[in-house]
Amino acid sequence: MNFFKSGLQSVLGTSENQETMTGAETVERLVDRVQSSTMLEDRRDACRALKALSKKYRVEVGAQAMYALTQVIENDRTDNEIVGYCLDALCNIVSPDQFEEESENPHISVNIGEQFTEMFIKHPDHISLILSHLEEYDFRVRWSAIKLLTCLLANRTKEIQEVVLVSPMAISRLMDLLVDSREIIRNDSLLLLIQLTKGNANIQKIVAFENAFDKLFDVINEEGCADGGIVVEDCLILMLNLLKNNSSNQQFFKEGSYIQRLSPMLILTEEAEEVGMTPQKVSNIHCMLQIIRVLVSPNNSQQSIAACQKIMRSCGLLETLCRMLMSSGIPPDILTELINSTAEIIRGDGNNQEYFNQVLAPSNPPKPAIVILLMSMVNEKQPLVLRCAVLYCFQCYLYRNEVGQNDLIHTLLPSTKEVPATLTSGQLLCGGLFSMDAISNWFSAVSLSHALIENQNQKEQLLRSLVATSSSSQPTSLLQQCFNLLQQGQFKYQSKIGILMFLIIWLSKCEMAVRSFLSINGTISFLIAQITANEHDENEYLIQGLCAFLMGICIQFNDNGVEGNRRDDLCQLLIKRIGIETFSGKLNEVSKHESYSKAGKQPQIRIKSPADLLLDYEFCKLFKSLEPTVSKLITSFTNGNESVNELTISQEASSLVAQYKNIIREQDHKIQTLNEQVKQLHLQNESISSKLTETQTSMSQINDQNILLRAQLTAASSSGVQNQHSNMNGFYDQHATKIHELEQQVASLSHEKSHNETKIQFYEAENARLLTEIDQFGATKENESTNEKLRCEINELNSKVEQMSKDQEDLLELLADQDLKIKEYRKRLKNLGQQVEGDDDEDD
Amino acid sequence: MSYAYLFKYIIIGDTGVGKSCLLLQFTDKRFQPVHDLTIGVEFGARMITIDGKQIKLQIWDTAGQEAFRSITRSYYRGAAGALLVYDITRRETFNHLTTWLEDARQHSNSNMVIMLIGNKSDLESRREVKKEEGEAFAREHGLVFMETSARTAANVEEAFINTAKEIYEKIQEGVFDINNEANGIKIGTVSTPTNPSIGSNLPGGQSSNSCC
Repeated sequence: MNFFKSGLQSVLGTSENQETMTGAETVERLVDRVQSSTMLEDRRDACRALKALSKKYRVEVGAQAMYALTQVIENDRTDNEIVGYCLDALCNIVSPDQFEEESENPHISVNIGEQFTEMFIKHPDHISLILSHLEEYDFRVRWSAIKLLTCLLANRTKEIQEVVLVSPMAISRLMDLLVDSREIIRNDSLLLLIQLTKGNANIQKIVAFENAFDKLFDVINEEGCADGGIVVEDCLILMLNLLKNNSSNQQFFKEGSYIQRLSPMLILTEEAEEVGMTPQKVSNIHCMLQIIRVLVSPNNSQQSIAACQKIMRSCGLLETLCRMLMSSGIPPDILTELINSTAEIIRGDGNNQEYFNQVLAPSNPPKPAIVILLMSMVNEKQPLVLRCAVLYCFQCYLYRNEVGQNDLIHTLLPSTKEVPATLTSGQLLCGGLFSMDAISNWFSAVSLSHALIENQNQKEQLLRSLVATSSSSQPTSLLQQCFNLLQQGQFKYQSKIGILMFLIIWLSKCEMAVRSFLSINGTISFLIAQITANEHDENEYLIQGLCAFLMGICIQFNDNGVEGNRRDDLCQLLIKRIGIETFSGKLNEVSKHESYSKAGKQPQIRIKSPADLLLDYEFCKLFKSLEPTVSKLITSFTNGNESVNELTISQEASSLVAQYKNIIREQDHKIQTLNEQVKQLHLQNESISSKLTETQTSMSQINDQNILLRAQLTAASSSGVQNQHSNMNGFYDQHATKIHELEQQVASLSHEKSHNETKIQFYEAENARLLTEIDQFGATKENESTNEKLRCEINELNSKVEQMSKDQEDLLELLADQDLKIKEYRKRLKNLGQQVEGDDDEDD
Repeated sequence: MSYAYLFKYIIIGDTGVGKSCLLLQFTDKRFQPVHDLTIGVEFGARMITIDGKQIKLQIWDTAGQEAFRSITRSYYRGAAGALLVYDITRRETFNHLTTWLEDARQHSNSNMVIMLIGNKSDLESRREVKKEEGEAFAREHGLVFMETSARTAANVEEAFINTAKEIYEKIQEGVFDINNEANGIKIGTVSTPTNPSIGSNLPGGQSSNSCC
């Protein structure tokens, strides 16, 4: 303090004056000196004094000296000392903190720093001025400028961000500070960057562009990674700022292989496991886990989540986390975040889910990690956040994981095998469902419901599940048991809500489950009683809404399989006993409830107290998708056409379309077979015609021979063999007429053949036309009459073709006959002593 | 994931000329016909091979709108390459090239490789800017020129790869100071010459850790 006193003395002159002057007067004098002194030393002293006073007399210095100080910063920039004083003084003025020195002063308002900040940044040039001083290497200047900017940012984040954003090179300069060899500069610039990047995507991107991640990882490595001090945490917080809600930077982080750099930092040494963690290490790891979660948050795009999840498995991060999860001595707040991180890494990624399923806890005998986790979920003594995290993790495990869903349901089904010695997840959940702890009931019901989401098969399978509440009682179906629980008076509302959500998810889009539910005695009357009950509690309203929704689902997905509880019966009941208005009103209670909007926001359960555990994210999704259908169904009653709704119409239409498709497919098939037949017939025809020409040629040969024979005969008769001659003549005549006949037949045959050919051509043409017609028909399905006609025509065609082939067969037979006859005649001729030409060929 | 070099690119040019589409075609090999306005800057990355060396391209796709101009300027300095894009079916986007070029030259390091790109070459019927004009502009200002189509992917690969080749040649010639990361070039984890003495250009500040 002596230093300050002497400084003040040298500026203000005698010491006697000092006591009598008020703070304001002193400041006024000092400001005057700063502005009017020609000597640099004088100005420097005055600034030093102002700095000294700026804490105790913040208002005075701020009100009077701000302008002067800024002037000095600009004009005396060559003198680092004076600039340093001015920056410090300004920093004190705008500081958001309250100083000890001013704690006794009642006139200081709490937000005085903020008001001065506002005054200071009225000129955007001021900020550029401060930014320009960051380039000065001198410690005093640089450090003071960093502190001043940090204070300004803390008070007026948005405005300063805008100015920084449009100042060329400003962010580059700030980033260069991160590699300053002086640790204080580096550490304070980290704090500055944390403030600067808060909630401004553009700045975040530029900071990332300026190699922020590389620089930060370098600092983290230098400082000893997870074991490092608060600087590591600051680096991680800055990283988190850069990545939060910034898909471009997330992409950059992933592409730059930074996940791979983060991963090894989470590996715990055995030694660390035994000793436990320092609070700083807990914070560091917590930040790392949050960075991981930001990358795979369900709010990100599916594509980028999937890519990050893949990398996290391949680089061993998932393995590291799972090992950490199962190791002892993990502080509870890390454990919760660890479970949540693991949850989001496996969510919806089949391979990661499968890996998680395989993880075993190092117990004796080794139990699956999932079972261990579920055990703590249904354990009342565990902290609520931990139990919620486990539920979230289990939900993420089941999310789009049909195999996992099937496995879980399988553990609930009666099996022929011996009951396994170890506890299964299904048993745990059943135990939780029937326990006395309402929270366990809720957790278990929601867990089970997630095994049924979009899994039609398991909804039906689970109907086979049998449970016995006590060793003496008869096993009843799980469905029946759930209904029994609902009816119990002492059952808490939370448990009821859980079970109702479970039932709704179970029954939705599953007619078989609805039928089973309606077959249980008294379900509908129970629902009606609930819906019409005169309750005045908010949570009771919610239960009523859920009951109404359940009833709607029983109507919507009713296959009319239960006598007395058919779709129409239920509709009548609804109209008469509840009334459409009341029903719609109750249905709306669900979406009106506070927890509906809260739970629907994100898959993770975020609650403050156990009483907030009401609705579940996936249930809200289902409700959102089915509620319109149910309320439309209800309102359609008033219009009288209760049985027709959108769903059935679309079903009818689709069945109709399927029918037409089948018809077309059949006809297609028929056309193909007909085509083949035509081809075959064509071939046959060709072979027949070739045979015909053969026979024709042989006939003409025979004719020639005949003429020859006749000529020979006449020659012979003239030589005098009368007797024989007359005999021969008779024969001959006969023969000639026969041959003539044959010739005629052949002619007629060939005629018929050509006729057939034309016919076949005609049918081919007809067939082609039909084909095109059928094509056309395919395009315009509605034209059923054409279809009929076509079918008739095809039948007709078929029969004609058959007739033709028969005709041809007949012809062939005839031909063969004639062939035979001709042969016979020839033989006879031979016998008669006539020489027949071409004998040899014919005889073969 | 290892690479010999890492180059930073920026894509600049008027709004609606197809900057984001070019990037999407290059990184994802797909085309998105709906114009989705870029806000600020978006990031994309891909690995390419030049001269047998793996080179990682980090590409920042900037918003073309005037409102974002001051933000996008922050990216000029740290980039090794820039794709300056205009739309061959809109004359005014070609007319604005001079402004863009001035802006880029003013804020970037002098060695930045700029590739001029006439995009939408598939829309020949609506062409307003002749290919020769683009060539002439590029010649005049010492740029590399190419016409591309983000829709058909024509020349898209070439545009990015040729720019990288150009940078690579400059490195070979020793024009670029590869140890200064502010030039938009980083030496990768493999085939690193064993002198990672990064001479930081800060006054007195020296980087202490560069083994990454």
